[in-house]
Amino acid sequence: MSLYPQPHTQVFNSPPYPAQGYGQPLIPPTSYHYPPPVQPTFHVDPQTFRRDYTTRLADLTVNSRPIIQNLSMIAQEYSRYAEIVAQCIEMHIRRVPLWMKLPAFYLLDAMSKNVFDPYARCFTPLVVTLFIDTYEQVDPSTRSKMEEMLLTWRTGAPNGRELFGVVPQVAIERHIWGGDTTMTASSSRSGGSSSISTAQVLSELEFVLSQKERTLQANPYDKLAQNHVAVLQQLRKLVQAGVSQEELNQILTQLRSLAQPASSSPPPVPAPVPQSYSTASYSVSPPSYPTPIDQTMYPSQPAYPTASFSVSKTEPVDFSLLVPQPTAASSVSATVSAPSAPASNIANLFNALVRTGVLSTSGTPTGAGTIAKTEEAAAPAPPDPEKEVAKVYRKTILANKLKLTSADIVRQRLNVASLLYKRLPVQCKQCGVRFPDGPKGRKTMEGHLDMHFRQNRKASQAVSRGYSRSWFISVEDWVHDGSIDIKGKGRADGRKINSSAAAAAEAAKREAELRALFVVVPPGDEAKPISCPICKEILKSEFLEDDEEWVWRNAVRRDDKIYHATCHAEATASKSTLAVRLRNEVSSSRSRSQTPEKQILRTPPKVSLSFSGEQRKANSPSPTTPMGMKRKADDDASNSSLETMRGEPPTKKLAVSA
Amino acid sequence: MSALGLEHEGKPNPLGSEGSSAVHVRQWQLEPETEYRFELDPGNSLAIKLVDGQAEIFGAELAEGSIYVFGMECKAAVYTWQGCTIEMTSTEYISEETPMNAYANVHLALEQMRVRALRVIHGSPPSDDDEADMDPNPEPPRVLVLGPENSGKTTVSKILVNYAVRMGQDWNPIFANVDPGEGGWAVPGVISAASITAPLQTSSPAATLGSAATSAPVHLVSNELLPLSYWYGHAETRRNPLLMDRLIRNLGENIAERWDADAECRAAGLIVDTPASFASSSGPQGDHRHALIKACVDAFRINVILVVGHEKLNVEMQRAYGNRISIVKIPKSGGVVELDSSYRERVRKYQLQNYMYGKVIPPPPGLSALPYLQGGEQTSDLTLNLAPSSSVIMFSDLVIYRIGEETMAPTSALPIGAARVVSEMQPLIVDPAQPGSGLYNAVLALLSPPNPDESERYDEEILDLSVVGFLVITALDIPNKRMTVLAPGQGSFAGRTAIVGSFEWQE
Repeated sequence: MSLYPQPHTQVFNSPPYPAQGYGQPLIPPTSYHYPPPVQPTFHVDPQTFRRDYTTRLADLTVNSRPIIQNLSMIAQEYSRYAEIVAQCIEMHIRRVPLWMKLPAFYLLDAMSKNVFDPYARCFTPLVVTLFIDTYEQVDPSTRSKMEEMLLTWRTGAPNGRELFGVVPQVAIERHIWGGDTTMTASSSRSGGSSSISTAQVLSELEFVLSQKERTLQANPYDKLAQNHVAVLQQLRKLVQAGVSQEELNQILTQLRSLAQPASSSPPPVPAPVPQSYSTASYSVSPPSYPTPIDQTMYPSQPAYPTASFSVSKTEPVDFSLLVPQPTAASSVSATVSAPSAPASNIANLFNALVRTGVLSTSGTPTGAGTIAKTEEAAAPAPPDPEKEVAKVYRKTILANKLKLTSADIVRQRLNVASLLYKRLPVQCKQCGVRFPDGPKGRKTMEGHLDMHFRQNRKASQAVSRGYSRSWFISVEDWVHDGSIDIKGKGRADGRKINSSAAAAAEAAKREAELRALFVVVPPGDEAKPISCPICKEILKSEFLEDDEEWVWRNAVRRDDKIYHATCHAEATASKSTLAVRLRNEVSSSRSRSQTPEKQILRTPPKVSLSFSGEQRKANSPSPTTPMGMKRKADDDASNSSLETMRGEPPTKKLAVSA
Repeated sequence: MSALGLEHEGKPNPLGSEGSSAVHVRQWQLEPETEYRFELDPGNSLAIKLVDGQAEIFGAELAEGSIYVFGMECKAAVYTWQGCTIEMTSTEYISEETPMNAYANVHLALEQMRVRALRVIHGSPPSDDDEADMDPNPEPPRVLVLGPENSGKTTVSKILVNYAVRMGQDWNPIFANVDPGEGGWAVPGVISAASITAPLQTSSPAATLGSAATSAPVHLVSNELLPLSYWYGHAETRRNPLLMDRLIRNLGENIAERWDADAECRAAGLIVDTPASFASSSGPQGDHRHALIKACVDAFRINVILVVGHEKLNVEMQRAYGNRISIVKIPKSGGVVELDSSYRERVRKYQLQNYMYGKVIPPPPGLSALPYLQGGEQTSDLTLNLAPSSSVIMFSDLVIYRIGEETMAPTSALPIGAARVVSEMQPLIVDPAQPGSGLYNAVLALLSPPNPDESERYDEEILDLSVVGFLVITALDIPNKRMTVLAPGQGSFAGRTAIVGSFEWQE
């Protein structure tokens, strides 16, 4: 009946499946499959259910994540009516006008991936014809969205295999990307079954690109991912501008190899949706691709325009059309946390391709042009809509003439209710939290719903497991918690970027700046070894190509002496903090205990405490002295200096030894 | 009359409802700006559903159609700005006189401070129509809420925080609770602070301010509170005002540090809820309360003081701080319930119970089949049932201190030849082996580890260490030098330090 091994969790209607049935150990079931929540006894008869579900489906006129999630949650809850749900959805897709088909497909996609069993099974028999029929009717942009979705199906199943099995996957792909000459779709390809179409490459490219973009979204500071996205976007331009079959082939190979490493490193957070763009896919699916083309067969074909995209190569490409809108195209699947940045360097792909002459930026005339245009288009900063929104809000708030006085507070009657309710029309049905209208509010809402969705899934999995109160976080984490946390994102998975990581990054940046400093070697001194007066190591000289001069790297000149920039900074910092520390020590020593602290300090406080208590008795410190604060002052001083100061001896020791 | 969750106005809702009989449900129409107040008796629970319109509980909006459950002697009110229809399983009374308008105005004034502060942080140009914008250095609101017992300080604080996070501006104000008699999101005996990003829900006094994070996946972000806590250890501030003073300053210090790292968090401001003892001028505690108010004002850099319904205190504050701080008297709600000490005692018990075991409020009979929300949680039976861990450890595994208390200190911990006079701030080691150590059933605060760099440590460091969790000693086996410790979760205590206070708890 099914192409799928069934997860062994007991599900309504389906017999428990032996765990041995899996080809591979099922990756933490936590994040993938979940049984329907323990249900109170609802007695809804199938007819009522069908009617109701159809009615609800009718709401799915636009790509709305709340609706899709709601529908799939219901479907999950009533998985015993899976057949009915599948029928309803098929009917819905076949019946609705063209522009409403895609959202319904997203629903199908979401349910199959997230609930998986039994939905993937139910959709399997009908998905091929449904997909192909729809694909042939819709416009190019919808097609590309569908292609993108199709690509995720390759690895959509919880075990990383094809979501609906190999056969349907291959059938659809062959129909869409060649191997089927009767195809009416994207007419741009000229090759037979073994050629690679530009459309296919573009689809995959889009796929990898959206993956990277999600990585970037998850971690906006990831320079590597930024790079990758930029390069992939350029690559896309090139492909759209037209490249030879041979080049396409190479790009495709590269892309596939690129997509793979992403899967091997597990997502940073347990991905709730089984969408680890994973392993099996590209190695298993070869039958679906007319694979490695014999390159001699297609000696560099002339570049051809990509007719499948309604973008003429001579015109500036509308960027926004092509970049998959993260909110639209990937809205459903975006519940996945992005795979962590792949180990391989995408930037190399582009460079390598250029270098080897597969792609020549100058050789492909339009290519070079588009790249330039891309950069131009990216250059002018768009007016910041967020700032505008903030400004409007500020005006609204400040328009209320109100003084913070006892009299005014009681007297005034201002319309606070509209601020609390009307102004925020987007409301979460589950918990009542509201968000402002507009793109930003909707995005936040989507993130919020994702969170509910994930939580519901997780909660329903762990019926038997006991949770417990967590230990509180440390002061350091608490202090730096807010600066990185994005509302509803970081907290949803309970994980936060560690503050020490941020501090380390800061220190590394400072160090890099110092290391970039250089001193020009006086002419004639090139061979003379000069050592840093602080660390006594010899300064390395190197030749700066840009300035055509020999320089000492990581060096500064002070009082006619050449120091390592890092050594010097450290020394200056410690000098100033030493002074500060000593001053502090002097001013505070009055209130401090004069008892032999050295002794106490050297012994672990645990052991020494009754002893130290005794010592203190004789000369008890003023209890009001906020010692914690004094310590903070020291910290501040050392914070302003280099990170390396951390290891310096503390105040007390200095005082004692001084 | 219909059961909660049954069909309304013929609207089909086949997926959420399976009406059960025998529930006495009433539907109530609330006029705009009125509130429905309820007080629950021990062992009772209550379910409320918003049928139509908009309603909120202490500033947290109710989702339409969801069933909210309350219990454990919860006393709360459903307020509506624009009118609503609610269903509930019992009824108390509806009040038309509420101070909500004044509270909302305070909120609005604070919001003005926030947007002005944020404007400067973002470097946007000032708008012409705002005369107060002339202030070159507008400060975000840092509010101290003062008031006598049973004046609704915590409720006011909660409403103000909830309104701030509901503005859709991504405000994440800090809520500081310096009332050690009130557990807030943890257990009684601490003073603590947490950054709030989602409305704080009300469902039981065991978690007045939401709960601290658990290992469970949370269902509402407000339950993922990550507090920073310091252990005071007593319910009354007069017991050790010096220690209070120091802890308040520690808390303020860390909040300031957090603001340095995050300017937007700074702009969202701070609300400080205080104990009633700050306001009561009677008795011999007059001196320390002024010192503690001053500690708060300094540590949190307070610029707004709200005095809830207390004329004399208002005047006092005007005199002391009126020249530099806005002192605003706000009305007290008529719905505030007079709470006696035995109620407070029970609430402390609930809070400890809730910390360790969580608490699922059984819904009113007849509703059990329907999904409901407790404190915003969707599946309370899964996520609010917590499993603490009980383990037997050696006396020597855990070093236990008591801060500056002479009465219980064993002789051996005293200096040789010294009188029984101990500084209030002095950490004294408590030996569990001594009879009368007072550790049996005592609540301990497990401290975060001291500075890893030994040379950075100092004698009284344990006074400045934050709390990572709470333990209860449930058994002492003196002959074998072992004790049984109940902890919220797994973990080893070897080499850790804990402080005992005056709280005890027995299951």
